Amino acid sequence: MTRKRNALLLLLAPISLILGIFFLIPLGIVVVYSFLEPGLYGGVEWTWYPYNYGRILGWPLNDYEEFDPIYLAIFATSLKYAFLTVLFSLLICYPAAFWVSRRSARWKGFVLFLITLPFFTSLLIRIYAWLLLLRPTGFINAGLEYLSLISQPLDLLFSGFAVVLGMVYIFTPFMFLPIYANVEKLDYSLIRASQDLGANPAQTFFRIILPLTAPGMIAGSIIVFIPALGNFIVPAFLGGAKVQMTGNLIERSFLQSRDWPFGSALALLIMASVVLVLMVQTIRAGRKQAGDAA
Amino acid sequence: MKRSLVRVLASAAAIAVCGQMAAAEGKLNLYNWGDYINPELIDAFGKEFGVEVTLDTYSTNEEMLARIQAGASGYDLVWPSVHMHDIMQQLGLLQPAHPNQMPGWENIDPAALRSKEDPNGDYCLPYAWGAVGIFYNKKLIPEVKGWTDFFAYAKANPGKITMLDDLRETLGVGLIMTGASVNSRDPDEISRAEEYISEQVPNIGAFRYDVIALVTAGDIAAGHYYVGAVLNALQDPENLGFVIPEEGATMYQEDICLLANAPNVDNAKLFMQFMLRPENAAKNAERLTNGTVNLAAIELLPENLRTNPSINPTPEVRAKLQIFDDLGKDLRLYTKAWDRIKTN
Repeated sequence: MTRKRNALLLLLAPISLILGIFFLIPLGIVVVYSFLEPGLYGGVEWTWYPYNYGRILGWPLNDYEEFDPIYLAIFATSLKYAFLTVLFSLLICYPAAFWVSRRSARWKGFVLFLITLPFFTSLLIRIYAWLLLLRPTGFINAGLEYLSLISQPLDLLFSGFAVVLGMVYIFTPFMFLPIYANVEKLDYSLIRASQDLGANPAQTFFRIILPLTAPGMIAGSIIVFIPALGNFIVPAFLGGAKVQMTGNLIERSFLQSRDWPFGSALALLIMASVVLVLMVQTIRAGRKQAGDAA
Repeated sequence: MKRSLVRVLASAAAIAVCGQMAAAEGKLNLYNWGDYINPELIDAFGKEFGVEVTLDTYSTNEEMLARIQAGASGYDLVWPSVHMHDIMQQLGLLQPAHPNQMPGWENIDPAALRSKEDPNGDYCLPYAWGAVGIFYNKKLIPEVKGWTDFFAYAKANPGKITMLDDLRETLGVGLIMTGASVNSRDPDEISRAEEYISEQVPNIGAFRYDVIALVTAGDIAAGHYYVGAVLNALQDPENLGFVIPEEGATMYQEDICLLANAPNVDNAKLFMQFMLRPENAAKNAERLTNGTVNLAAIELLPENLRTNPSINPTPEVRAKLQIFDDLGKDLRLYTKAWDRIKTN
């Protein structure tokens, strides 16, 4: 028994060390920094300073400031774009997963290869490619003009549209893979059974297919939502830095504004909302398991 | 405060330029902005003195400071902007290299001794300077004299201009246009500047550093940009132009500074002497299309650079250029204003 336990400890040691050193300790530093006073040139002063959180909520820091919840507004923008990203990638991936799951094994392998293909290229280069596609003299506008569908270039770049497009593009594979894994295992005899028992297509979909594929959709949505919420590259490049998400604010706090504690507090705000989403999901999954068992 | 192509790309890039010598006598490790030195000079220095030179790059002063403060050792020379030179000297991160006792110092423009901490040049060697102005595409906007033209064009053609994604630079334009100093610490002046820029925001296409390609292709008509764009304007003078706005503009200057913990002090001083040679200063200015602080080098510049009003401006234009001071804690006034500008 003890030998088994020792072996288990030995097996868990590497991952525990990695998580401890590269995740928990940095996280602890972020938490501590968020309660300290910003240093004059970056870094922190070791003085207790709880106002960073008040500032996020909009409380004025000094006499000439007024109550102004702009940081919450920016956070709301981030939530909006993250939700839109989840929604559109879901709409794209869900039908696509069904289509792929019905192909032959060779086709499936090929499609999965295509979906993971973008990871072979740097993210920045792929975002830059979108800039070239969307700009006024870019391929999309030039193509539409060539086909005489438009007379003036469309303002595609540097907009909320471009930001959602870019994020959907980046995160689609993360949505696709969990949904696909789920759809692939779908038991078609259940669908046939519901049809035999007289269910119409809508009933079959909502009462059989949707509940059975929900875990994949939820997993995909969470995996997409988390990085989308904190993303800063896409709004900076494709949003022209006019679309501002919390990620951009964090980046600016650490560099241009030299306010590490405020950046840390914002980072924890994002993390807290992610943890909240995960907790809700865990509780729901736990309830469902309990329900299934009963 | 940057001139390199893509901020994130540049900060990730670390270019190692090694001398040809297999058995180099020594090393010299440079930490400079991306694309901010003529690579030929690094090669030439390495060959002449048998020194193996490495070059790492950064894209903001803060990034460099953070790395040096975090104890990045091994670097000998850094290129801080003047206000960052002051900060680093105060923090004890620099050591005096005494460029003012080196041969060729007499060529350095006394006006380039802008550092408040180092008024005599005991620590750092002034390197290069430049104005921040407007780079424009003449096919879309035939002439731009200043910010008034720039914003008037944007009002008629929303989305066709960009400004720098830099809170000091862009709020600086607001301060210039509302008649205040770009180093104002007065909340009312800053809030007027904020209001001025906020009014323009609906017409501004993007806040970006990387606009050369967009202006050149005509995706946008004009962009708030550094004087380095003169390089592009000179390649295609029919279509492209750069102007220092007549209402006034900001300027930057970087100095070459010797780090307190530099491992190769002697080679670093040799490099400063090398950069003091007028022909090298000229070669560098030619590549960067920057203003040079070496008065003897101006004579050596090609005609089209020497007579370029953006690179070698008249005293009247120079008088309207303002350089940033470090604001310390008062930077907060700008941060909040900038956050609000971006949120509207």
